[in-house]
Amino acid sequence: MVLPCAGPMTSHASEPVAPGDDNAHFGSKEDNLRWYREMLRIRRFEESAAQAYTRGKISGFLHLYIGQEAIAVATKELLQPHDQVVAAYRTHGFAIAFGSAPGACMAELYGKATGLVGGIGGSMHFFDRKHQLWGGYAIVGNHVPVAAGHAFAAKYRGESGVTLCFLGDGAVAIGPTHEGWTLAGLWKLPIVYVVENNLYSMGTPLSRSIPVEDITLKAAGYNMARERFQVTSVAETKARLGEAMRLAREESRPVLVELITYRFRGHSMSDPGKYRDKDEVEAWRRSDPMERTMQALRRLHGISEEELEAIDEEVIAEMDEAVRFAEESPAPAPEARFHNILAES
Amino acid sequence: MALIQIRHAIRDAIAEEMARDERVFLMGEEVGHYNGAYKCSEGLLERFGERRVLDTPIAETGFAGVGIGAAMCGLRPIVEFMTFNFSAVAFDQILNNAAKIRHMTNGQFSVPIVFRGPNAAAHMLGSTHSQAFEPFYAHVPGLIVIAVATAYDAKGLLKSAIRDENPVVFLESELMYSVKGEVPEEEYLIPIGKADIKRPGKDVTVITWGQGVPVALRSAELAAAEGIDAEVIDLRTLRPMDTEAVLTSVRKTNRAVVLFHGWPYGGVGCEVIAQIQEQAFDDLDAPVLRVCYEDVPMPYAENLENLVLPTAERGLAAIRAVTYRR
Amino acid sequence: MATVVELPRLTDTMEEGVIAKWRVAVGDKVKRGQVIAEIETDKATMEFESFDAGVVLQLVATEGETTALGAAIAVVGKPGEDAEAALAAWRGKSGGVAPAAEAPKAEAPAPKSEAPAPKAEVAPEVSPAVAAPAPAAPAVAAPAPVEDGGRVPASPLARRLARENDLALTAIRGSGPHGRVIKADIVSAIEARSAAPKAASGAATVTSGAVDRRGRPFVSAPDRPVKLSQMRKTIAKRMTQSKREIPHITLTIPIVMDRVAAMRAEISQAIEGSKISFNDFVVLAVARALREHPRVNGAYSADGIVEYGDVHVGVAVAVEDGLVVPVVRFADQKSISEISAEIRDLGARARSRTLRPEEMSGSTFTVSNLGMFGIEHFTAVVNPGEGAILAVGALSDEVVAEGGAPVVRKIMRCTLCSDHRLFDGADNARFLAALKRLLEAPMALFA
Repeated sequence: MVLPCAGPMTSHASEPVAPGDDNAHFGSKEDNLRWYREMLRIRRFEESAAQAYTRGKISGFLHLYIGQEAIAVATKELLQPHDQVVAAYRTHGFAIAFGSAPGACMAELYGKATGLVGGIGGSMHFFDRKHQLWGGYAIVGNHVPVAAGHAFAAKYRGESGVTLCFLGDGAVAIGPTHEGWTLAGLWKLPIVYVVENNLYSMGTPLSRSIPVEDITLKAAGYNMARERFQVTSVAETKARLGEAMRLAREESRPVLVELITYRFRGHSMSDPGKYRDKDEVEAWRRSDPMERTMQALRRLHGISEEELEAIDEEVIAEMDEAVRFAEESPAPAPEARFHNILAES
Repeated sequence: MALIQIRHAIRDAIAEEMARDERVFLMGEEVGHYNGAYKCSEGLLERFGERRVLDTPIAETGFAGVGIGAAMCGLRPIVEFMTFNFSAVAFDQILNNAAKIRHMTNGQFSVPIVFRGPNAAAHMLGSTHSQAFEPFYAHVPGLIVIAVATAYDAKGLLKSAIRDENPVVFLESELMYSVKGEVPEEEYLIPIGKADIKRPGKDVTVITWGQGVPVALRSAELAAAEGIDAEVIDLRTLRPMDTEAVLTSVRKTNRAVVLFHGWPYGGVGCEVIAQIQEQAFDDLDAPVLRVCYEDVPMPYAENLENLVLPTAERGLAAIRAVTYRR
Repeated sequence: MATVVELPRLTDTMEEGVIAKWRVAVGDKVKRGQVIAEIETDKATMEFESFDAGVVLQLVATEGETTALGAAIAVVGKPGEDAEAALAAWRGKSGGVAPAAEAPKAEAPAPKSEAPAPKAEVAPEVSPAVAAPAPAAPAVAAPAPVEDGGRVPASPLARRLARENDLALTAIRGSGPHGRVIKADIVSAIEARSAAPKAASGAATVTSGAVDRRGRPFVSAPDRPVKLSQMRKTIAKRMTQSKREIPHITLTIPIVMDRVAAMRAEISQAIEGSKISFNDFVVLAVARALREHPRVNGAYSADGIVEYGDVHVGVAVAVEDGLVVPVVRFADQKSISEISAEIRDLGARARSRTLRPEEMSGSTFTVSNLGMFGIEHFTAVVNPGEGAILAVGALSDEVVAEGGAPVVRKIMRCTLCSDHRLFDGADNARFLAALKRLLEAPMALFA
């Protein structure tokens, strides 16, 4: 007998869930202030990068994280010393949130010697081992098995580290993702796969690229635990992602988490965004976690416009400084192209 | 000296390195309970346990990627491809991750991993299972590519490969796993990047590697019967290539033949020839010839396969041609 | 259209040549690279290999006939082709050089050796492509294809070896595929070059009508016409030029050679296998004396005098029907044993006619020694382009007065024949005095 498919065959969600305004979505005044500032840092960094791009200072591909900042900020607060984060090519936000110097990040975009990876990698290849950012992978889905390898190593050595592997919804269809998930499930690796579902695989809505609406349904086939929610606040994201990490860490169970989110910019700088209309973008802006946190600061904690303005000015000054640093940094030395191809043994 | 098969030289190399270094582990299809599709890991599961000898599902991209991720964490994986034909589905992992991570992280990460398994045509396996992969991998900066043809070289070079900080593609031969050779009882290593003169000679240099080596040696014997003294150089490491060894020999003999398993177009043979013509042009008395697969997908039928493969007779014909003997 | 074969330029200084021997006859099939003639040049008799394939339709030049460079010497083509038509077309196209026999030879370009000023240190490196005399008319010969532009197919190694051994690739038959010249061909060419050329045969005798007192007929031999060899011609031309243009002055000095003899004996005892000759000492002493007297190491021309910066001593060597003057370069900077070894080698190769052209050019002064024939004293003719020549006589034991008493000394007479336009009798004498001083106190040569 043919059994019905496990998941509902409904249309795909393209409308944001209207988040509640109850206090559970927010933290203490200190938390909210910190989260707001951190999200703002990412956003202002990305805006500076976009501006530099339009001024011809940055070339290549530039994928901005605007709209998805809460995820990186929540993740940062969950990381323990032996954990590592592997991400794809929309990675600036993780670096900024995790503590990489904005100057080094911007210098990398500028292709300067002082960049995060010496100007060798560029926007799509951010690695900052010291700050637990282990990439930076630009071939869709090919980091999924690599991340499983990190988790494998932790388990092999009996260490408590958890690997967090972020991938876009666009990476769900490709083969390596499934081979990585197969091995993670088969070998019960301590890893959390987080699909940042921003509803579009580049310009293609998920209804045209994935056969089910609920990506976490796939977890069943890989013996992974699953979790799925829309990102409307750092607090909730931190709480639910934290639980997934606990499961991975304490029970060595892989978990598949789907975070529904929205990027307010195009897929990359060259994306005119014609596949979605202004109303849709506006609707999502109303549930933008950063915007909501700012409102909460006003409403719940009585933070004044002037205070918010002051925070913004500080952040803008920090990013201006990052741009200045990048502009004034030297280009890599000619011989740098020969470095690090093979280890000298 | 013990006389052992190449498969056992490989197994012994893995076993010695696993015993020596806790970070070394073996993964691949059928490497554990089955004892290896070609018995190159016979007894290793029993000795080292399931933690360090891992049977994988048929998911080359998956386990190649896991190996790379583990290597980035400081482990030293040995990833067996049941044959290198299957590495094609893991090609992106090797090309874009193993080979590039050190470079694109500006040295923050190393990928000390060995991808090993049989390469090139065996016997009547048809086109998808009869391919030589060295051109694909030797093309890539960031990889080391080794091809072995004797038990001695297999053991010494595999041990060096496992200890190397770099990703190594280690090519073996299904047809040659049973070939026996002398291997010292005591431990030894063979440096990566050094060619070996398998037969000294003065009239013509035959450059070869991997499964080509026995063919080249047989060609040299046939040539010797005709009074032509061929020198056979086994490159052993294809990247980085021991160009000096090749040039030294060619400067002596003034003639060269490159004999290998693989297609002629754009391969390692071409690189050998390019190096010779760039650096020893004025020492050449004849064009450098290639003896290799014909430029066709490998057919299954035995008679057709024999026509495509490089043979000792074809090697001899090339040796005659470059020495102007008819 | 058949191909006209032209007289090739086989040496650097060749202006004309003689077909010493045709190795093919009309009607013979010719392959590319096949030797079709022996051609006598000013330096040697060389084999000429065909650039063309086909059948010999006509031999334009006859054996022994002097022919200008580039002149038509044969026609090669398909059987039945019209050789005369080919020749006519060739003349029209190339303004063809007529064979010497038909028309007075056009003034050949003056070789640089006739002018005193530039001394050719070494022959300019000849690239194979340039050295190959390109066929005047693009040959459409059957059946083999013809190399375009005269480029000879050769392996890189063969090219290098040819360059190093001063062999023209055009003169070597390639045994490789498509006529490619390979190492083996160069090796045989080097071996062939070492083999000496052969002698000519004698003439028959006849009896004359005249009888002796007893009525027996005298045996009469006919005059033997001897064709001028290229070498004889060159000698004749240059010596005539010298005697016509150069006012010679000639001074002779006796030199006591006892101390050289003693030193020579000592060296031969001290150094195993050394065979230093008196002449080697003379050459060394000459070279050093030339340094002291730079004018003697010079040459006159109407445009001015040149004092050569380097001392390259030519050593005249008699060869069959002629002489050649191989050159010891930078002789003033060489040791006696270097000079000795070099002269021995050059002499041997002069006699086997395997000297390279540049080994026979560029001398700034010449030494001619006829001592081995017992000649005591002679005069010589200055080589055009030089200022003087030293004629060296034999050593002989002579009784001389020393301090009023007779003693026996080994005396050698040296005669300096020089160009009076360049310097005068006293300069000549001073040079000879310096030479005498160096040879009578030969330790100075080693100081």
